[in-house]
Amino acid sequence: MQVIWGTKKIEKDTPMENRDLIEFFDESLFISSLAAKNKNDVFEELVDLFVQAKVVRKKDILLEMLHKRETLGSTGIGKNVAIPHGRTTAAIDVKIAFGRSDKGISFDAIDGKPVHLIFVVLAPPHDENNKYLPVLGKLVEVVSEKANRDRLRKVETYEEFIKVMSGEK
Amino acid sequence: MLNEQLELLVALQDLDIMIKDIEDVKHIGFDVQGKEKLEEAREDLVSKINRPLLFNYEKLKTRYKRSIVPVKDDICLGCFMRIPTSLITRGRSDQDVILCEGCGRILYWYD
Repeated sequence: MQVIWGTKKIEKDTPMENRDLIEFFDESLFISSLAAKNKNDVFEELVDLFVQAKVVRKKDILLEMLHKRETLGSTGIGKNVAIPHGRTTAAIDVKIAFGRSDKGISFDAIDGKPVHLIFVVLAPPHDENNKYLPVLGKLVEVVSEKANRDRLRKVETYEEFIKVMSGEK
Repeated sequence: MLNEQLELLVALQDLDIMIKDIEDVKHIGFDVQGKEKLEEAREDLVSKINRPLLFNYEKLKTRYKRSIVPVKDDICLGCFMRIPTSLITRGRSDQDVILCEGCGRILYWYD
């Protein structure tokens, strides 16, 4: 079966469904209202979650990787969404942290708009099951839908968040 | 405090992976440009790493997909061999750069 993530075609046995994304989230990696007011502080705040949840041990390594990634171009993909991402030696599995900002954060996004929904995607250098790119692609697909973005802008609890991400109405 | 040289090596490996991933990530729809910037950052990093360590890293890269691998539950996640107790204490203290006795990869204590 051929699956198309964005414009890239990846041969896979089964397509990734919305609900398949759920295993990469965790309540400990969820913030319904970010305190951060700028991009650097958002990274700090969300990376702290990874450290507290023991997803990674060293904060600096992760911050360095995320900042380096931003030098290639903003991960603010437009429509008030940013998906900072990368593989790092410091991570052992694919994990996603989510933070929502009510006021919006300047992220040098491609459309110049402030970002309200931020997903930080981490992956180990070589995940044997090759989950990283499909996960990234699926995430982009989910947030590309306006209805999903609108619902995510209003989520207060992790349960509400998971409902949106899993495609539940 | 993580050994500074190990920290630089980890940053180097992360950077190498990022350079390798550029095209894939671009196809998903991300704005990715200026691979040169990362290559410049790589040069900068490389200049800070001591020569024998760097040589070892590059040599391992020709043999394995990754030169630095995490240790979890005292197991090298490169070759899945148990790390001898004597090395665990030294590795966890982050004072030394430890190589796996089984595969020779550079070890990074994940937990």
